Amino acid sequence: MASPRWRKVRRDLGLHKARTLLVVLAIAIGILGAASVLDTWTLVRQATRDQFRASNPPSATLRTEAVDRQLLARVRTLPAVRYARGRRMVIASAQVAGGWRTAELFVVDDYRSPIGHVEPQAGGWPPGGLGIVVERSSVDYVRTAVGEELTLQFGGAEPVVLPVTGIARDVGLAPGWMDHVVYGFVTPATLARLGAPTSLDDLQIVVARDGQDREAIRRVAAQVKALVESTGRRVGSVDVPIPGRHIHAAQIDSLLFTQEAFGLLALLLSGFLVVNLISAMLAGQVREIGIMKAIGGRSGQIGLLYLGMSLALGVVASAVALPAAAVLGRAYARFTGDMLNFDVAAARIPASMILLQFAVGLLLPVVAAALPVLHGCRIPVSAALRDLGIDARAAARRPHPILARAGGLTRPLLLSLRNAFRRRQRMALTLATLAVGGAVYLGAVNLRAAIVGAVDLLFSSLRFDVMLRFDRPYPPAALEEAAAAVEGVARAEAWSGARATAVHDGGVLGNPFPIIAPPLPSRMLALAAQQGRWLRPGDGRALVVNRRLVEDEPGLRPGAEATLMVAGRPTRWRVVGVVESGLSPSAYARRETITEIVGGGATAIVVAAAPGGLGARLTLLQRLRSQLAAGGFEVQSGTLQAQQRKVVEDHLLMVAGFLGVMGQLMIVVGGLGLASTMSLAVLERTREIGVLRALGASHRSIVILVQVEGLVIALLSWAIALPLSVPMSVVLGKVFGRIMIQVPAALAPDASGVVRWLLVVVAVSLVACALPAWSATRISTAAALSYE
Amino acid sequence: MSEPLVVMRGVSKCYDTPAGPFSALTDVSLTVARGELLVVVGQSGSGKSTLLGLLAGIDRPTRGEVIVGGTPVHALPERAISAWRGRAVGIIFQFFQLLPTLTAVENVMLPMDFCDTWPARERRQRALALLARLGVADQAEKLPLTLSGGQQQRVAVARSLANEPALLLADEPTGNLDSRTAAAVLELLAGLTGDGQTVVMVTHERAALGIATRAITLVDGWVAGAEALAHG
Repeated sequence: MASPRWRKVRRDLGLHKARTLLVVLAIAIGILGAASVLDTWTLVRQATRDQFRASNPPSATLRTEAVDRQLLARVRTLPAVRYARGRRMVIASAQVAGGWRTAELFVVDDYRSPIGHVEPQAGGWPPGGLGIVVERSSVDYVRTAVGEELTLQFGGAEPVVLPVTGIARDVGLAPGWMDHVVYGFVTPATLARLGAPTSLDDLQIVVARDGQDREAIRRVAAQVKALVESTGRRVGSVDVPIPGRHIHAAQIDSLLFTQEAFGLLALLLSGFLVVNLISAMLAGQVREIGIMKAIGGRSGQIGLLYLGMSLALGVVASAVALPAAAVLGRAYARFTGDMLNFDVAAARIPASMILLQFAVGLLLPVVAAALPVLHGCRIPVSAALRDLGIDARAAARRPHPILARAGGLTRPLLLSLRNAFRRRQRMALTLATLAVGGAVYLGAVNLRAAIVGAVDLLFSSLRFDVMLRFDRPYPPAALEEAAAAVEGVARAEAWSGARATAVHDGGVLGNPFPIIAPPLPSRMLALAAQQGRWLRPGDGRALVVNRRLVEDEPGLRPGAEATLMVAGRPTRWRVVGVVESGLSPSAYARRETITEIVGGGATAIVVAAAPGGLGARLTLLQRLRSQLAAGGFEVQSGTLQAQQRKVVEDHLLMVAGFLGVMGQLMIVVGGLGLASTMSLAVLERTREIGVLRALGASHRSIVILVQVEGLVIALLSWAIALPLSVPMSVVLGKVFGRIMIQVPAALAPDASGVVRWLLVVVAVSLVACALPAWSATRISTAAALSYE
Repeated sequence: MSEPLVVMRGVSKCYDTPAGPFSALTDVSLTVARGELLVVVGQSGSGKSTLLGLLAGIDRPTRGEVIVGGTPVHALPERAISAWRGRAVGIIFQFFQLLPTLTAVENVMLPMDFCDTWPARERRQRALALLARLGVADQAEKLPLTLSGGQQQRVAVARSLANEPALLLADEPTGNLDSRTAAAVLELLAGLTGDGQTVVMVTHERAALGIATRAITLVDGWVAGAEALAHG
């Protein structure tokens, strides 16, 4: 049988059911927010890491020619090679809703090969006959299903209608919806039907040992390259990705980072809430603490009672919140996994994580209660026995001079203003909770604006609307003349290009990257150099690289001389500048320099359209394709800059979107904090409200009294969140810039965001105070005046 | 003559108030012998409750010594004072001050629980015995708010006796009771003195003088008079 003091704890909790429920709810929401985010983080991390590894991604890809069984058999005999396969990737166009979108079609020598494992999802696998299996991340983008048909076109050949025979998941690919690409798996016969080349030109290997050592893989790739070259084949490039790193690792990392950071922040805010509520609970128990001390209770014993009470609240809150968090976390992980093209169904939340969450759930209220309990138990017995249920110090404190002098305000309004400042510690914690929520919200708004600004900056340097690529080079002047003759074209510029690879020490090759080569001066491309300078007409083998390429190849810093393999030949270059130009590594050189090296002409044309909307540009793209094809130019693919911009934005804004959701969650926690603060204020001031009622205050006056007090706190939090959002935005921008793309640091909150945050905070305050205000009107004068 | 249970020597208590320093007690010296029932009378603000607070260790003197049962209460460290009070002193308040969520018997068990003075399994029996001695055994399982004022004060007296304290301090124990119940409570306290219990009682009740062994009168914090009474 429990001792009387512990029975007191149990009955006190039962006696103040509403208050107990409020505390449990506050703790539960904090735990729910933090634990669901942590569960999502665990599941997504586990699924992305495990499934990507389990898919056996290629250690290296060698671009060569005519990869056949004999060559594969020879490569497989190398002891350092565990698996090898041949592949071809063909870029075509898929017809979607009347328009054409980029399609990447894959053929491999054996779909049962353990390299780059593809998981069937629906219909048949592997592709057979003249059917196509669509990658699942493209399914919504291309709006198709098993049993439907898909129209594909390769270059200038006739479009071909293919049956969709299956849907499969390839976790090694960037999500199709995000990259705006339709991925399909087909057979050589299908490629032949489309008029595309059918021979395999990618040789992919998985190394037998040191699979996580990029340099070791490069050495094995060099061996394979030598073997391939010994058969008389040329090797164009050798791509060795960072081992174990998914192509969208940057997005995944940013998402996981933000999830981790905001999970902890949600926990911290909920801690504030608990401190508030437990302080209020103790405030109501001061007299009883005095009695217990008077009859022999020691501070330690009494403190233990209240810490035990907090622990009990933590147990109940955890029991409610943790299962809900597991469900919510899994649902959000499924959503995140779907976006990143991973299946989280098989991932499990480890027992250690659940135990950790349970421990945090139990300890959070205990830790949060520690200071208020310490403070409460130290109150002298005489003071505790004199307690009248109102903070005498707070009541005796003179109002702030501004409040004291506030003129032109009605007495009830002045009372609301002064009431807001009566419990200063509680108000500070409520303010902190709401203000941090607001700072995250504004930070997300600012980051979003900064991303859009960075994308604006990026695309403002790309002064064209349409780009067409060709299967083979053409004389630049002829291309420009043919394009300029198409109706709706304002200007046209033919660009050249080549794929290049840095040559490292010992002849080991780096990853291939494109060199984009416009004529100089270009009217269509004007990138601003972050370091060094942009290209000049008189430059010889001068190279400008983007930031992503320097990160990948640190040897290509400004001022460096470097050897690049271009069109299979070693060439010396001087790096003259660095620019920011998107998410993938690329470099820039003069068109004449590249055409001289590769011995060809232009391989792309960029076109500025006459003024018009997206529809007009789509029509222009179709017209350009058909008229250039009619003029004998074999168009490989065509893209609208607007679409390209959407691709880049989709990649970048996903993180800002997640931050926005987190900001909203924080605001909910803050709103709950305000609701609890106001509920407690009403509870504590029952007698005062009774007096006001006795003096003739109407229901409306009481509601206004409570609502205005809440609004004062909410508006203060709005004002505090503004400066707080600056460091928040700077930190978010820096983290984002390190992982994704550099964005301009936001030193002033976005004006529309500030106004929206004001509206949000007012709405949150009105909603949060509605129940306390209603409860205040339910207090009867007689009951209030006898309240103790 | 045996050593007195309570000794106060040159005790003064001064409070800092917003209106300036306020002297609640000035240079009070007194002794209380074991088994005595001392009544302290005086008008509101005369320092009666301050005197009781100093004896209970609830307040500390600004100057002077307070010794109860040989323990220098004025010098006890804060961390030790609650435990000392729980064992050495029983307090009866004007407003009973029972914990509302505990039943009568649980309220009586609470001091034993805090001070660990009786084996856990014996506490309930002892509490019931105390309630029976005070005539409220039938109310043992009721919550305080369901009891009458007189019944609550009897439970409070039972609680004050739970740890067999040497000194019982009663602060206006009849101040919140009707005259018939007040008389019964005073009779009860007189009975306790008869059993050898030392009691110091602060009161406005003239009737209390009838059961006291001695009375002192406080005026503005000074001991204005002392008289030995019939029971002395």
